[in-house]
Amino acid sequence: MEKILADFGIQPILLLAQVVNFLVLLFILKKLLYQPILKVLDERKKKIEQSLIDAQSIELKLVQTEEDREKKLAKASEEAKQILDEATKSANLVIEEAHLKASKDMEEILQKGQESINAERSKMHQEIREELADLIEVSLEKVAGKILTTKDQKELVQKTIKQL
Amino acid sequence: MEHEIVLKPEVLGYLGVLPVTNTLLVAWITMAILIILALFIKFRMKTIPGKFQNLIEIVIDTGYKTVEEMAHNKTKLFFPIVMTFFLYILISNWFGLFPGFATIGFYEQGEHGQTFVPLLRSINSDLNMTLGLALLSVAITHIFAIKFLGLKGYLKKWFSLEMFGVFLFVGLLELVGEFTKIVSLSFRLFGNIFAGEVVLATISNIFAFIVPLPFYFLELIVGFVQAAVFMMLTLVFMVLLSEKHGDEH
Repeated sequence: MEKILADFGIQPILLLAQVVNFLVLLFILKKLLYQPILKVLDERKKKIEQSLIDAQSIELKLVQTEEDREKKLAKASEEAKQILDEATKSANLVIEEAHLKASKDMEEILQKGQESINAERSKMHQEIREELADLIEVSLEKVAGKILTTKDQKELVQKTIKQL
Repeated sequence: MEHEIVLKPEVLGYLGVLPVTNTLLVAWITMAILIILALFIKFRMKTIPGKFQNLIEIVIDTGYKTVEEMAHNKTKLFFPIVMTFFLYILISNWFGLFPGFATIGFYEQGEHGQTFVPLLRSINSDLNMTLGLALLSVAITHIFAIKFLGLKGYLKKWFSLEMFGVFLFVGLLELVGEFTKIVSLSFRLFGNIFAGEVVLATISNIFAFIVPLPFYFLELIVGFVQAAVFMMLTLVFMVLLSEKHGDEH
């Protein structure tokens, strides 16, 4: 054993030197290489995960917004339709009312016209009658003046007129 | 120029009591490379990575996921150790393939006449280095086992009296296995890299142009595979040892 070790040139102090070398290297690399690299890798991993989550939520929001927009659009168009319907209804109502009123007015006018015509006519009748009575009176006077008294004449005229 | 096959690393000089071998020098250079790389990453870190940062991130992330698959909730603790084993061994293996290794050096007057002393030598072609790593790997494994199982649970793994002492025998066998781990980890790495060095030196001696190229490719693969093997074995040992006894389904 001793001889083998001697053949290979084994010296405890050299072993120790190598052990110290390794420990120094271990300490320095741990502080300067492994920790910073692993930290950066970890941070990057987290960042990627975070951005993936963000992207997902953004996509979700986009879909939601799209849905919202469509809903709003549908609602708006429905409202517009409703408003249009109402407007049409009220317009119809107004037109109908106007129609109604117009027809009423017309009837009234017609009635009034009729009435005034009637009144005119009866007035004319009256006038004609009176004129006729006068005419008859005059002609009767001329025809029967000599026979009948004035009083009889008048009675006769009145009777005749009534019979007419 | 003939290269002698030398198992021992060559001593370049002394730093106090510490003999600075050529492998130790390269170990320091490798460490410096890794530390500079780490500094570069640390102070140039961006959320949106450049090409270089991307490459490093892929390496670290792959390592982390591999460890996570086996260690689950202990990943945070195991990962830095296992990853450092991997990076240190990988970079030192590949760094050892650079030109200048085992060729730049000086002659020294030794006991047996003049010997060539290369200034640079691949770290893991020195058993000191691989044995150091293996010892540390097994030691950390046991420390984690004690941490996760408690001293009592840890000792129970080796000295159990269940099944009329059958498990005592099993425990003893496993205890021997722990020493085997040290030997297998260190010698596997050392053997592969040392053999690679020898092959490259030999081929280069036969014909230095073009012909060694396929072997360099082979050594690139071997360097990676050995680093990965060391890492995975350490990881598996850690996971197995720090697992509670009843946990294995």
